[in-house]
Amino acid sequence: MSLNWGLVDFMLDNHMTMMAHPVNGSLHDIYVMYSMFMQNFLWKNNECGVTFAKFCSDLDQISQVCSGCINIEDDSEGSIFNKKIAYINRDTLKLLQKVHYDKAIKLSLAHVGSKTKENYVKQDIPQSQGDSSDIHPSLLHRLMGVLEKSETITPNAKCLARLNQTLSTELGSSKLAKEQAELKTEVMPFIPICSDSRHVSLFAMVINTVNNKIVSLQTEKLKRLESEHPGITECVNSHIHFVPNLKPQTDLSLGDCSYLDTCHKLSTCRYVHYLQYYPESLQRQKNAELKKSIEQQTSFYTHGECCSALSKSILPPQWIKCDVRKFDFNILGKFSAVIADPAWNIHMNLPYGTCHDNELLQLPFELLQDEGLLFLWVTGRAVELGKESLQNWGYEVVNELSWIKTNQLGRTIVTGRTGHWLNHSKEHLLVGVKGKPEWLNRKIDIDLIVSATRETSRKPDELYGMIERLVGMHARKLELFGRDHNIRPGWFTIGNQVTGSSINEVDVKRKYSMFTEKLEGSKTH
Amino acid sequence: MSAVLEEIYQKKGEEHKSVAKKHVSFRPANEFHTNDYSNNHIHTGSLPQSHIRNIENTVDGYPKLQKLFSMKEKQVMQYNTKPFGCTVELDEIVPTLNDWIQKDNLTFDVVMIGCLTDNQFIYPLLTQLPINRLISKPGFLFVWGSAQKINELSRLLSNEVWAKKFRRSEELVFVPVNKNSPFYPGLEADDESLFNKMQWHCWMCITGTVRRATDGHLIHCNVDTDLAIETNNCKVGAIPNQLYKVAENFSTATRRLHIVPARTGSETPIRMRPGWVIMGPDVLLNNFNSKDYKNEISRVGSNLPKDPVIESLRPKSPVSNKN
Repeated sequence: MSLNWGLVDFMLDNHMTMMAHPVNGSLHDIYVMYSMFMQNFLWKNNECGVTFAKFCSDLDQISQVCSGCINIEDDSEGSIFNKKIAYINRDTLKLLQKVHYDKAIKLSLAHVGSKTKENYVKQDIPQSQGDSSDIHPSLLHRLMGVLEKSETITPNAKCLARLNQTLSTELGSSKLAKEQAELKTEVMPFIPICSDSRHVSLFAMVINTVNNKIVSLQTEKLKRLESEHPGITECVNSHIHFVPNLKPQTDLSLGDCSYLDTCHKLSTCRYVHYLQYYPESLQRQKNAELKKSIEQQTSFYTHGECCSALSKSILPPQWIKCDVRKFDFNILGKFSAVIADPAWNIHMNLPYGTCHDNELLQLPFELLQDEGLLFLWVTGRAVELGKESLQNWGYEVVNELSWIKTNQLGRTIVTGRTGHWLNHSKEHLLVGVKGKPEWLNRKIDIDLIVSATRETSRKPDELYGMIERLVGMHARKLELFGRDHNIRPGWFTIGNQVTGSSINEVDVKRKYSMFTEKLEGSKTH
Repeated sequence: MSAVLEEIYQKKGEEHKSVAKKHVSFRPANEFHTNDYSNNHIHTGSLPQSHIRNIENTVDGYPKLQKLFSMKEKQVMQYNTKPFGCTVELDEIVPTLNDWIQKDNLTFDVVMIGCLTDNQFIYPLLTQLPINRLISKPGFLFVWGSAQKINELSRLLSNEVWAKKFRRSEELVFVPVNKNSPFYPGLEADDESLFNKMQWHCWMCITGTVRRATDGHLIHCNVDTDLAIETNNCKVGAIPNQLYKVAENFSTATRRLHIVPARTGSETPIRMRPGWVIMGPDVLLNNFNSKDYKNEISRVGSNLPKDPVIESLRPKSPVSNKN
């Protein structure tokens, strides 16, 4: 003799309807509901129904087993139509259901365990298959249930799950900041690179090159290829392909040149070099996109922006050629973000003068920012020195960005003894925060930059976008030890390798002319 | 019947398409295109590192290096001890190691500490560990942790006592491919951070003297790089294989110890690895005893022998520099 578990489930699912108007807990109405439910959902083709008496006795049983879960009122004796459920305690019913459920799982596990054991002993394979097929659906269902349940069953696990959820919930501010960044960052054209290695060798047959340049493509041959390799035309039309630039001296067995497109001995190098191909149509499309995206969209979330963000134009590029070590930082004013790429005094022959680490550490960095961000490029040994310096200048190191350096083919750099013990595929950028800048839009980007190497020590341009998203387009930004290629709108660049000077901000202009006058004055005396 | 008709129509349609394609200009573009993956990330959410094209085979395009890697892997496998595990509670790690040093006279040449989890107990471990007696000279130490942890440890490792014994030589980085990766350091992210953190850091320290030009029997330089990216075949666990491989490829020593000073739980299991003694509270295999280990080491030798093919393939310091 067992309880009517279906009825328990039914009551749990429908207790609201049962107690609400127009049923109002009337036992007979509930019986009608229940029997309709049974007919509709469970035994559609089965004639077997439930009598009212059976229904009442089942209810009685449930209320006996689990005292207090339902309270049946009986206001007029005899008339079954006046019996009413006055109160359903959902929680106790739920407990009852759970006890049954857990027990059922245990039982079925034990049951299946013993069954398969039996079958194993008998080695009656067909029968075991037959058995498992009728056990599995329900067993699988229950096992899934166990997995789902296990998280909520123990209070510790429940707590952990909640903690994890809380901790991994993205802040509303960073969600909004991301939306804002998406609206306000111009879309740079993106052309995916073909990842099908077969295309490279196939494509090489179709291409005509003259003077290390792709001049044309043999459409007829490509058409023939299409029949054998469907999809290649589509791929050629939409992806970047790198085609081997084969020369009489090229020895395919040697593999790729370590320098690829930056190789200085292109006419004699026996390693394989590549040429980039994508159709002119994509180029036109890309330029059109670029034009379109220049019209910036506005965002309703304006955190970190200046109050006249819409009407205010971005400062034109400014730069001063000077010896950073002897320059008076008071001239420049305060900045929201500063990038410094000092030539650390490491033992390498670099095409520019290095300054001593001490000189660098003594620079009056405290003058540049009251609160804001300092980005310091460091190499190898300078990582520690850089961290220490940042702390000495009043910054807290909060991030360490890695620039993953890639080559022409979009692969990381793995050859060429670029480091002393291991090869170096990346460079580090320390990020320090001074004060408590609340105007930042944090966590839009990730702490990685994947970008190709260019001239010696030239850093990736992606960084500018990342900083602009953090501090805003209109914030004043400074680059120390910059070169001509670093000059850009919204940024102030100083260094001894920029050409001449250009200052737009009146205040800075005045202070700078006073500074130069003083310098000249001291020279003439 | 209708199916056949449909097929014919489809074929005709394709023919039409291919005729149309004939007129598409395949003229090559005249400027080099570079993608801005950071910009692309803002607009599409696709992570910059997922576009790197040699993740699965880092030495793609370099047959000589490919051969070197497979030769080295073979040699390392040939001279490996069997995998050893040592299950020790966190507060027993230091006493156990002291026993190994004092009673059993054990030392190791390669010691790795930490894994890709919180490493809650790495600081007390590092301060209490008899590290200079545990690691022979020359010896190599790899300390793994989140960028945050490594930053915190920097004060310890740059203090005078440490810095004299262990020279910080390289900084390694491990990068998970996306945010669903088991190696994504999600909860490490703090409110102060300006960027979403996607890296694990490692200090590679050297104690004693090794010279890269002359000590080819001890170290092979410039084989691996200081960057590892999660690959497709990375198994879920506390330590991806690349972390071990860097150490194995760099040092020829066979005595390797890995200490995991953290509970890693069942979701990020610590897998055993031939050639390594792995020690920690959640290590599942507990088969270490000093006698067996010494026997294994005497069987395989304390360093890999010189292999002429590997010698000819591995990058070496230019000879002209010596003059």
